Amino acid sequence: MPQSNPILKADDLSKRYEDGVLALDHLNLDVRGGEAYCLLGANGAGKTTTINLFLNFIPPTTGTCFITGIDVTKDPLEAKKHVAFVSENVMLYGNFTARQNLDFFAKLGGKPDLTKEQYYQVMRRVSLQEKAFEQRVKNFSKGMRQKLGISIAVIKDAPAILLDEPTSGLDPKAAEEFLEILGELKKEGKAILMSTHDIFRAKEIGDRIGIMKEGRLVMERTREQLQYEDLVKIYIDYMKSEPLTA
Amino acid sequence: MLKTIVKKEILENIFSYRFPLFALICVVLIPLGLFVNNAQYAKRLKDYNEQVRLADEAQSGLKIQDLMAGRVTIKGFRPPSQLSVFSQGLESALPAYYQFAQDGFSQGESSSSDATLTSTQGKFDFVFLIQMVVSLVGLLFASDMISGEKESGTLRAMLSNSLPRDAILVGKIAGGYLALLAPFLVALVLGVMLLLPGGFPLFAGDIPARIAVMAGAAALFILIYYVIGTMVSAMSAKARTSLVTILLIWSGFQLVIPKLSDMAAALINPVRTDTQVSLEKSLLINTLETESAKELGREYDKIFVGKSGQDAANDQNSPEMKKWAPIRDEMQLKTRENKAAQLAAIDETFLAQQRRQRKLAAALSLISPSAAFGRLAADICGTGDLARTKYIEAVRSHQNALENELFSKVKRTLMMHEGGRTTMMFSAQPVDPKKLPKFAVKPASLGEALKANAASIGALLFWLITPFAFAYVRFLKYDVR
Repeated sequence: MPQSNPILKADDLSKRYEDGVLALDHLNLDVRGGEAYCLLGANGAGKTTTINLFLNFIPPTTGTCFITGIDVTKDPLEAKKHVAFVSENVMLYGNFTARQNLDFFAKLGGKPDLTKEQYYQVMRRVSLQEKAFEQRVKNFSKGMRQKLGISIAVIKDAPAILLDEPTSGLDPKAAEEFLEILGELKKEGKAILMSTHDIFRAKEIGDRIGIMKEGRLVMERTREQLQYEDLVKIYIDYMKSEPLTA
Repeated sequence: MLKTIVKKEILENIFSYRFPLFALICVVLIPLGLFVNNAQYAKRLKDYNEQVRLADEAQSGLKIQDLMAGRVTIKGFRPPSQLSVFSQGLESALPAYYQFAQDGFSQGESSSSDATLTSTQGKFDFVFLIQMVVSLVGLLFASDMISGEKESGTLRAMLSNSLPRDAILVGKIAGGYLALLAPFLVALVLGVMLLLPGGFPLFAGDIPARIAVMAGAAALFILIYYVIGTMVSAMSAKARTSLVTILLIWSGFQLVIPKLSDMAAALINPVRTDTQVSLEKSLLINTLETESAKELGREYDKIFVGKSGQDAANDQNSPEMKKWAPIRDEMQLKTRENKAAQLAAIDETFLAQQRRQRKLAAALSLISPSAAFGRLAADICGTGDLARTKYIEAVRSHQNALENELFSKVKRTLMMHEGGRTTMMFSAQPVDPKKLPKFAVKPASLGEALKANAASIGALLFWLITPFAFAYVRFLKYDVR
């Protein structure tokens, strides 16, 4: 069950890039603990910009992002203590083993004293093959990399998890395994904000689903509402609709 | 947190394909360079000792007749610098010896007369390796430090944590630099140990201190290039752009600026050639001696008139001779002093012109950290500009000493009389050739070398601080997307 206080909150968030493109237009959303919020939308709709703003990779033009109530722009270092991030192509050091990567990011995430066994436990939890623990990551498949990526998020044990198209390019089995782990994290009370193109996975994991178009959140549905509506049709209708700025 | 980044950066570099390659280059080339140069130094030292022995023998066998005939030239050889093993610098470009004669000194041939065309592009020594190889590797190691991590996405992964950007930058520089420095230091220690069986006086005098200071300067130089590489990487969005920029910077610093600075200095402050100066001096000597001979002839003819005068000239105790002797001595002294002063003025003007040109070239070359390091290292090793200055100082001092102890003991009185008749008279004081001063060049101390290179050290610090400041400012706003 989602908790009452939002862990992730975007308050009237806008971003206009230097070239004049309005990537995000007055976005308001919140994600509570134990809740998964999926952002759907075409390329350039503003999904990744939203995540970049939450991670303070770019400053907002207007509005504010909050992580556990901390203003990301004002205190980014404190805010980032409470968030983990998994991207489409999980970014890892190819010449390091899975455990070395996990060890490095765990230390950056504020877990300096974990043992080798603890790392192994986390990797077992995300169903990474045992033999891969001490193998160099450069030989990993995308599915293995994603599993290691989520294990980094798991080990950080942050209340919020941001995922930028994490199932993109995964085979169905790997995507399914990935969603299972996300489901477990959700049950643990994590607030999950996931951008994705994958309508089916979004429907599967999302407690709420928002559709973005041209930087605006044009639709939001809860899991319950979607029991009676066809998400695919809604999504395609929005994509086909006239440009908002026209 | 910083420790974690440093450790990661060290490991990442060690695990990369570049590291074993670089380590191999260092461990093979640095000891090999030192070993070969030590063997060459031993050869040069042997040659020097033999040449000094022969010159001493020749000096001991000096005959007064040769002195009177003006045929005596004494050679003063410059000892090879022990630390030329590390930096050849001007070692083979400086004259192997100077020749001292009554008319002044002149430089002998340089020891580079057997140089090959490729060797003129830089001697294969420790400093050359640092300047040309390690600097490039340092730049390449740093080239993808920021932009490469951006491309691979790991920078986003790092920055999604509670991690200050300055800590990332400092940690990455420190870790990458340590990974670069380790094989270099190991290779240096190996190389120095390899010198010992070759008889290198490693623990003599201030040699350990000089090697330590040079190693420190080399470490600073490598750090500079690493920081410059970091700056370029932080200013580029793509690793490929960094790489191209870095190669341009490297070729500019290593090859273009040092040579351009010499050319620019020669254009701004032109200096006459040695031959022109030598001709001017010969002309002056000829003119002064002719004038002196004419004046002496006139005075002589006034005193020694007619047949009685000729008789008086043959009698050392005649009143005419007693009158003539002080006049002759005074005129000769005046001529000698005048000649010495004018020759010194020509030399001084020439040397001052050369100094100005070299100073300008040195100042211009400081635009390149490589040139600044090369100058500093050469002076620490006693093969730089300071060694040249000390050499010239020693030469001038020795010329003066020989003037007092040898050349002034012989007087040749050339007289040109009315009607074109010429006579020459000789007088000589006894000279003990074995007691003549020995030529010696006092090497510059380490303190003098560092003091003379204050500008080079300043330039190196500038090249460390400025790129770091740029990298820092740029990285704080670096777009990691």
